[in-house]
Amino acid sequence: MSFDVAASDALHARVRAFIAGDRADDFDALALELAAYQARAIPALGKLCATAGVDLGAASSADAIPALPTDAFRYARIAAHPAELDLRVFRTSGTSRGAELRGAHPLRTLRTYEAAALAWAEPMLLAAPPLAHAIVLVPDPAGVPDSSLGFMVGLFVDRLGLRATFTFDPERGVDVEAVAGAAERAAREGRRAIVFSTAFALAAVCDALGDGCPSLPAGSRVMVTGGFKGRSREVPAGALYDQAARVFGVPASHVVGEYGMTELSSQLYEPRFATGSGAIGVYRPPPWLRVSAADPATLAPLPPGREGVARFVDLANVDSVVAVQTLDWVAVDSTGDVTLFGRAPGAELRGCSLVIEDLFGDGDAGLEGG
Amino acid sequence: MPGSKAAERVRAVLEVAARIVDARDPLGQEARRSLEATSGLSPEGVELALTDHTETAIDGADMERLLTWAGDAPRCHVVLSSNVCTAAVRAVALAVASAPDVRIRPSRRDPGLAPLLARELASHPSFHENDGTIMQVNAIEARPGDVVHAYGADATLGDIERALAGGVLFRGHGTGFGLVFVSPRADLDDAAGAMADDVVAFDQRGCLSPRIALVAGDPGRGRAFASRLSSALTARAARVPRGPLDAATAAADASFGRLADAMGEAFGERDHLVAFFGDLAVPPLPPATRAVSVLSVADAASGQRAIAPYRAFLTTIGGDLDDDAARSLAALGGVRFTRIGQMQRPPLDGPVDPR
Repeated sequence: MSFDVAASDALHARVRAFIAGDRADDFDALALELAAYQARAIPALGKLCATAGVDLGAASSADAIPALPTDAFRYARIAAHPAELDLRVFRTSGTSRGAELRGAHPLRTLRTYEAAALAWAEPMLLAAPPLAHAIVLVPDPAGVPDSSLGFMVGLFVDRLGLRATFTFDPERGVDVEAVAGAAERAAREGRRAIVFSTAFALAAVCDALGDGCPSLPAGSRVMVTGGFKGRSREVPAGALYDQAARVFGVPASHVVGEYGMTELSSQLYEPRFATGSGAIGVYRPPPWLRVSAADPATLAPLPPGREGVARFVDLANVDSVVAVQTLDWVAVDSTGDVTLFGRAPGAELRGCSLVIEDLFGDGDAGLEGG
Repeated sequence: MPGSKAAERVRAVLEVAARIVDARDPLGQEARRSLEATSGLSPEGVELALTDHTETAIDGADMERLLTWAGDAPRCHVVLSSNVCTAAVRAVALAVASAPDVRIRPSRRDPGLAPLLARELASHPSFHENDGTIMQVNAIEARPGDVVHAYGADATLGDIERALAGGVLFRGHGTGFGLVFVSPRADLDDAAGAMADDVVAFDQRGCLSPRIALVAGDPGRGRAFASRLSSALTARAARVPRGPLDAATAAADASFGRLADAMGEAFGERDHLVAFFGDLAVPPLPPATRAVSVLSVADAASGQRAIAPYRAFLTTIGGDLDDDAARSLAALGGVRFTRIGQMQRPPLDGPVDPR
């Protein structure tokens, strides 16, 4: 089937309008329209709808859209457009032994991704007082173009005109001296900085810096994403946040968790900076992203308050699939806020039988490719 | 002579194992109560694991191979994961073959048979007479010259190895799975029935469990095999029901079913799922429950390409021992090659996983 570029462009425009606050489209109607377009163009989704007997044209709720498991992104191309139109392919992280099966999320335009990333990071993370420096402990998008996390951070750096110090090397890890040097420069100049990091890198850097890092100027902040699955050490989130606040001299409310994944185009944030409060591990999605807990046995969306596996309906996923099913264990309250628990109960009991997280090392809740 | 003492210690382990297997023995009854509470298998699954898949004897040739593998250390520390429920028998046998002094740290969540074995061996006359001592510990404190046998996820093994002092020999046994190759001339009903036996044992939780089947021939043959395997699993579930699923495995199972609906065809009932993925380039890895990926391959070479991303994790290949294509797959190296239906019964000649 030939790719309908006009239909795709029109949907992108409507989604960007939704992101910008235009509510001419209803969330459920737009999600269903996206899914219908995708089901026509992406064989896996079309077949899933047919097998499940779902008539997207007759449905009224996005809950009716069958969510495609994230593993599908490993084994098949999940894109409405042909590969020759790929502008960028984001890939999940993975161990060297699982490199051939890293999940891939192809995009033919970055405009909608950028609009979504910026529109929600603005109030949740990047709002006034203005920032001047970025201390980056995630991949530099110039060197690792398939990391969605690196791309997002690079986008923030560019759009805010931040003076960035990229300190992460995929082979050698984080250059702790470069982190300390960038912090010292921001402190000396009295200009606010933001630290972008994975949880694992942040724990290592905080341990290495100890009390040897100058406090960042007031208004500075720290963004942390991902967890410790498959890593040689694990630090509880509360302890890590306290340590990061102490090492970089920022208030606890200015350490903000981000939750995203390669297969999505939108991100969630802990509303700690935006509201001055909020529990660690409770994330707020943007209006164009709906999260539900799904029944682990049936994958059907559950009512608010119930625990289950996270199901995402992300309007910004225009040319892939709008509904994505993960195995992260969550509860979603009536306001839409998402409590992320990590892996589902029982996940630690699997014994010597290989599970996919062992193979790819990317079972972290909320870990974007890097 | 150290070798003969080690052999006697191994025989002592197997004597205790034989009592555990015996449902009339109080030790066997205690084992059943314990495993039914912690293993995640149904009571029938526990009984199958004990009676059909627990080592209780060893022949001379296998003993020789086992002792050669084991080496000779003063002390052996064993770190067990929440493994297949009877795996402790072989792990302890390997440990007592390696050293007279054994310290064993079972999984806290799923200790399996390890505590019973340690307790019974501690008072076993022949074990003592052959210099054997064994105790259950909470932490490993290995000294130079000791050997550590560790079982579990690769990341855990890495942690353990890094924490060891210099001069300690480390032998890690990581995660893995088994593969079935259905040869062009194989009878599909026979192969499906035999594979179902390998699947039902331990509910696919083991590192020998066959999670993927490659079926030589056109997609129609592969689909027929998937259908027959599903039927065979239904029949076996009537005798040996699957154990209950925790939330994580249930979700992974449901997600795998959805993947099959999207990219292949699902065969199954409430307690199993066989997913046929046609001639997809790489078969998706199913969750560790009664779930199997079936893929059609034109020949052994295309089978090798399909399985390439998983090659480092393959522990055993089940197939027709006389078939050239199956033998060429087994030539991947470092894997056991056995008949389908015998994949969960490796000889006691060393670790189940020869990688």
